[in-house]
Amino acid sequence: MSVLPEDWALPAPTAITEAWFTSRTIAVQTCAECGSRQHPPEELCHRCGAMSFTYPALSPNGTLHSYTVAHYAVNRALAPHVPYAVVLVSLDDAPELRVIGNMPGVPIEDIRIGMPVVAIWEEHHADDASVVHLPQWQPR
Amino acid sequence: MRGAAVVVGVGESTYYKRGGATESEFQLACTAIRRAVADAGLTMADVDGFTSYMDRNEPVRLSAALGVGDLNFTAQTFGGGGNGAAAAVTLADAAISAGYAETIVVFRALAQGQFHRYGQAGRPRRTRGAGAFTAPYGMLSAAQTCAMQTMRYMHEHGVTQDSLAEIVLTCFEHAQRNPRAIRYGTPLTREEYHASRWIAEPFHLYDCCPENDGAAAIVVTTAERARDCAKAPVSIVAGAHGLEHRGGVAAFSYPGFPTAYHRHVGEQLWARAGVGPQDVQVAQFYENFTGPVLMAIAEMGFCEPGELNDFVADGNIRWPNGRLPINTAGGNLGEGYIHGFGNVVEAVRQVRGESTCQVENVELSLSVSGPGYAPGSAVLFGRG
Ligand SMILES: [Zn+2]
Repeated sequence: MSVLPEDWALPAPTAITEAWFTSRTIAVQTCAECGSRQHPPEELCHRCGAMSFTYPALSPNGTLHSYTVAHYAVNRALAPHVPYAVVLVSLDDAPELRVIGNMPGVPIEDIRIGMPVVAIWEEHHADDASVVHLPQWQPR
Repeated sequence: MRGAAVVVGVGESTYYKRGGATESEFQLACTAIRRAVADAGLTMADVDGFTSYMDRNEPVRLSAALGVGDLNFTAQTFGGGGNGAAAAVTLADAAISAGYAETIVVFRALAQGQFHRYGQAGRPRRTRGAGAFTAPYGMLSAAQTCAMQTMRYMHEHGVTQDSLAEIVLTCFEHAQRNPRAIRYGTPLTREEYHASRWIAEPFHLYDCCPENDGAAAIVVTTAERARDCAKAPVSIVAGAHGLEHRGGVAAFSYPGFPTAYHRHVGEQLWARAGVGPQDVQVAQFYENFTGPVLMAIAEMGFCEPGELNDFVADGNIRWPNGRLPINTAGGNLGEGYIHGFGNVVEAVRQVRGESTCQVENVELSLSVSGPGYAPGSAVLFGRG
């Protein structure tokens, strides 16, 4: 179902990205001091400099903000998979926050700026037996 | 602001297609530096500093090989990409104006045949940091990054594919007059542009800079020292290198998206120079891809985003009759991709009156580096 090879790159979750890549929710990093939200997660709050965070789930709904279709495979392993689309989604709960993803199973010609989308999660098993849940997007 | 530093020499190696160089990258660097120093009418012993960006050729090695005297200053910019080209000139200007060095060579050497190709990516396995949010989705290249920005920008501002084409056609047309250009003798038609394959939509093949081997350099020194030099000095009127707060955070989660990262650079540059875009006769805009060039034209204040189609149409950016001829040596697309340093050299040549597409009565000549990668930079040259 993935648009890329089954054994393609996976994130290695860290303390600040674990919620995003394992919780199967839109777990947006939220500052424990000032409540500011930021994505991707960073080690300090961009607003107040605090280093402690919560990761509450926002709505999985978003709006397609931009996209590009890769026709040239920059790595040989991707050659059988081009063309594929990479999309940029604005979260409906926090439109200033944007998330990069794919739209598995969706024909490229159906992808349009402004289309309403919803997050789904792909389950990937890494070499070290850890599990990553990669957010992806579908029309809604 | 106009500091104490001026440009007194320019030089290049031969520019080759990727893998075409018979010399190593280090040898290319040394050739360009020697030619720039000779053009200045100076000797290697006069050089006491080097600045660059993302370069592999260490000043310690260069100075030993070239017979440079005592080394007094070396620096490179942070950050990736050709966004450092103009910034490297400002580093030299700052060092010379502050008295840390007297004569600095600013250079960039790049052999994509000898080293890795910018248009290709290794195979990532487990990704951390910002790459964890892009690589797993197959977003790996600069082309894709700039395409994502450009697609939204075209949508918001009605910029057309034909305006992207106009950047390419302008560069290729100007390259036909420049014997140093890799595309010299191989013009391109609008039909060939539109028929070329996609790389990353909305970029066709010709929207993307080529992969080349070569080196380019300029010599910067004090106004006092310039009196001994071979040619009239070119002044560094102002430079700018930077970004507004959070302007370039990862994965495009900043309020200003899409941007070429030149809004702040433009504001700073014009404020420091005490002039505006309307005072500039000729400009070089770094082309990694065509979309960021258009965005940078608007962000540097030459027009509103919604006016870009008209700004670039009808030969308005072409030599000799355009109101703002750009990329007059052919730019990265037509002359050669030396990580944008050719665009700095050409901006100096325009003030000297040495361009192969020479604009008349140049008082101010602009070079804008690395749109699409943060932070951007720009430098404004003028008569000495
Ligand atoms: Zn905070």
